[in-house]
Amino acid sequence: MWAEILLTLAREVEMVRRISVRAAVAAALAVAVMAGAAAAAETPKRGGILRVGNLGEPPALDAHWTTASITETLTNHIYEGLYSLDRDNRPIPMLAESHSVSRDGLTYTFKLRQGIKFHNGKEMTSEDVVASLARWGKQSVYGRTLFDKVADLRARDTYTVELKLKEKVAIVLVSLAVPNNFAAIYPKEIAEKFPPQTKITEYVGTGPYRLAEWKPDQYIRMVRFDDYKPRNEPPNGYGGGKTAYLDEIRWIPVPDVATRVAQVETGELEFADDLNLDAYDRLKRNPGARPIIGKPYYWLVAVLNKKDGLMQDQKLRQAWQAAIDIEPIMRNVAGGKAEFYRMDSSLAFAEVPAWHTSLPGLPWNAHDRDKARRLLREAGYKGEPVRFMTTQEYKWMYDFALLTKQQLEDVGFVIDLQVMDWSTLVQRRNNPKAYDAFTTGMGNFFDPTHHVYLTCVWPGFTCDEDILKLQDELARELDPKKRFALWVRQTRQFYEKVPVIRYGDLFGLRAVLNTVKGFNEKTERVRFYNVWLER
Amino acid sequence: MAAYLGRRLLAVLPVMVVVLTVVFLLIHLIPGDPVSVMLGPDATPDQIEATRRSLGLDRPLPEQLLQFYGRVLRGDLGRSYFLDRPVTVALLERAEPTLVLTLSALLVAIVIGVPSGVVAAARRGSLWDRGLMLGALLGVCIPGFWLSLNFIYLFAVRLGWLPAAGYTSVFADPLAALRYMVLPAVSLGFNQSALIARISRSCMLEALQQDYVRTAQAKGVAWPVVVGVHAFRNALVPVIAVIGVTMAILIGGAVVTEIVFNIPGLGRLIVSAIMRRDYPVVQGVVLVTAAAYVLINLVVDAVYAFVDPRIRYD
Repeated sequence: MWAEILLTLAREVEMVRRISVRAAVAAALAVAVMAGAAAAAETPKRGGILRVGNLGEPPALDAHWTTASITETLTNHIYEGLYSLDRDNRPIPMLAESHSVSRDGLTYTFKLRQGIKFHNGKEMTSEDVVASLARWGKQSVYGRTLFDKVADLRARDTYTVELKLKEKVAIVLVSLAVPNNFAAIYPKEIAEKFPPQTKITEYVGTGPYRLAEWKPDQYIRMVRFDDYKPRNEPPNGYGGGKTAYLDEIRWIPVPDVATRVAQVETGELEFADDLNLDAYDRLKRNPGARPIIGKPYYWLVAVLNKKDGLMQDQKLRQAWQAAIDIEPIMRNVAGGKAEFYRMDSSLAFAEVPAWHTSLPGLPWNAHDRDKARRLLREAGYKGEPVRFMTTQEYKWMYDFALLTKQQLEDVGFVIDLQVMDWSTLVQRRNNPKAYDAFTTGMGNFFDPTHHVYLTCVWPGFTCDEDILKLQDELARELDPKKRFALWVRQTRQFYEKVPVIRYGDLFGLRAVLNTVKGFNEKTERVRFYNVWLER
Repeated sequence: MAAYLGRRLLAVLPVMVVVLTVVFLLIHLIPGDPVSVMLGPDATPDQIEATRRSLGLDRPLPEQLLQFYGRVLRGDLGRSYFLDRPVTVALLERAEPTLVLTLSALLVAIVIGVPSGVVAAARRGSLWDRGLMLGALLGVCIPGFWLSLNFIYLFAVRLGWLPAAGYTSVFADPLAALRYMVLPAVSLGFNQSALIARISRSCMLEALQQDYVRTAQAKGVAWPVVVGVHAFRNALVPVIAVIGVTMAILIGGAVVTEIVFNIPGLGRLIVSAIMRRDYPVVQGVVLVTAAAYVLINLVVDAVYAFVDPRIRYD
């Protein structure tokens, strides 16, 4: 009997083993099939129209002409520069093949890629590059800064460009690589036809998409440029290899934010940008779409007028900095969602690791009311109203201004909150007699010398000699380690002199259908090269 | 009649001059600057000043006003700063969506408003009257954007019957155009129908109290005929006036509806133009709207004579 039992057990064990083996084989096969299917699903496909809902119309499709972020986003699909930025926001070649610098550091020689076609079929040569950079150097914020130091720019041969500097500067490559107000290369005929202060109206670039049609308030159609010659490297940040998988990108201005969300939910848009944060939970529940948190978006800032009025007094600026409790302000602005803000005192975003700082002991977010009151007394402040300009056109600006007003009035400031439309605000802030402070947001700066609020020309007018001296040293110093040390000094000086009030980092919200593949979520502004549609 | 219409048309000219001057001064005198918006947040004051010079915005206001009059006399409304095209072209592009929306919404408003007013008057004090007038009250009270967003949520997002927003030309694809136009036309038409319903009811009540109605009833004419034939035609003149005013308002741009449903019409154009301080576009849209007001009023006055033969303009 025991033998029978043992035999039965043995058969069962054998059966279980066989079943296990079969199950394992089946499971392995299933995994292999699924992996294959997944791999097939992730294989890029050509074709389709990607419909992108954005906030509105660009003021121009001339990359040299405006710093508007919507122009940056659109034009980076049509045009390219000599350099671009990698995933860590460092310069990498795009239309340039390589460059060399003379021993004295004054001459940059750029070798251009050959066989690059413009959308009109003409080959890009050094003449186009020289004409475009000359125009960019007269109009762009970054171009003007660089060209202050340029002695000469010329074509040495068909594919070589030489740039001579008046003095050594560290910002040549990064200035050519910034994506905003960028050094786009146009055909020489177009660059010379349109003076720098006149926006171009003929849109010919070398980018992976070409402009097919622009119907204001209806759509901008960009179609694949079939003669586009991608770089051989894999995609890398804003640069590297770019492939235009889509037949067409259709940018549709949808001014109402609730409609943008609804159109993603109904599948009328594949992608929507600049959404209100309260749509986040609704999008998370949608099985066909998903939310994307756009990092970075802006660090919130109250810019103080140092040229005229109350805020010329450094003690008052320090009192403002000491009084505010940033965490509750950021939490409120982000609709109570921790995913949408970050507490950070660095003047460069964490997404720009080369310039991000983590410095202990800075008087940021101190929330020291006694110190604020003491500073007000020392400044001799007698309750004069502080004219603080904001707008409701950007809800986050209004929200943080309102919360700031409450906190400042708790320590004795009198805040005259002036709410106006954005157009009025950007005009008034140029007039130092008209205000004491205004709200705005600071986007990504890729080099310390590009931080506009540390210049004497931008509204708020930071003309402090020590700050400008360090900015100048940062522009001249070539050694990366020494530059970083200077930047650390500048950051400490910033918190002592308080040219502006740095709040926390705010993030943005985007929505994308699950059929959109290959989208790079890590860039500050959206790019749709290397994106394809899974149908 | 012809002489009257001629006089009215001549009277349009001084109205236009006043409208143009007031709009020009208003839009130029309010704070804000198109160049600061166009050049973006990081532009410096000297860049802004240079571009203002290149657009001629640094010249004295009277000089700019005279240049503007000169251009208008030549039929040139200027060039949009933002849209890179003549204002007349921008207006023509926006005319079709606005006209289609206006006519569709007006149709919905008339179909809802006039019968509601007539039935409410004919059954004065009944549940019908109260129910229909409650509907009209709701039409006046409910904000257009709220109704539009709820229509989108219900009919586009939840039920998936209609597209949430957008526009297709009726000449390109009539069926698609109809699908895109249903929600905006109904939400806008429902709002506008309220006024038409209330005016129709008041006018019908007044007409129904006239002697000829009592006479018709005494002669044994059926009540629906009394209401529909005898009273209705006599009540129609003020209703036509309201419909005319409604149409003029809608031609000026159903701003909220066009923004929520993303219809590229005149309403959306003028809002974005004001936000960007695109002066030539604002002036152009206001000119067209004022002209539409004057002309529609003229047409309405002419229609009175056909509806009510007692009205004479000689």
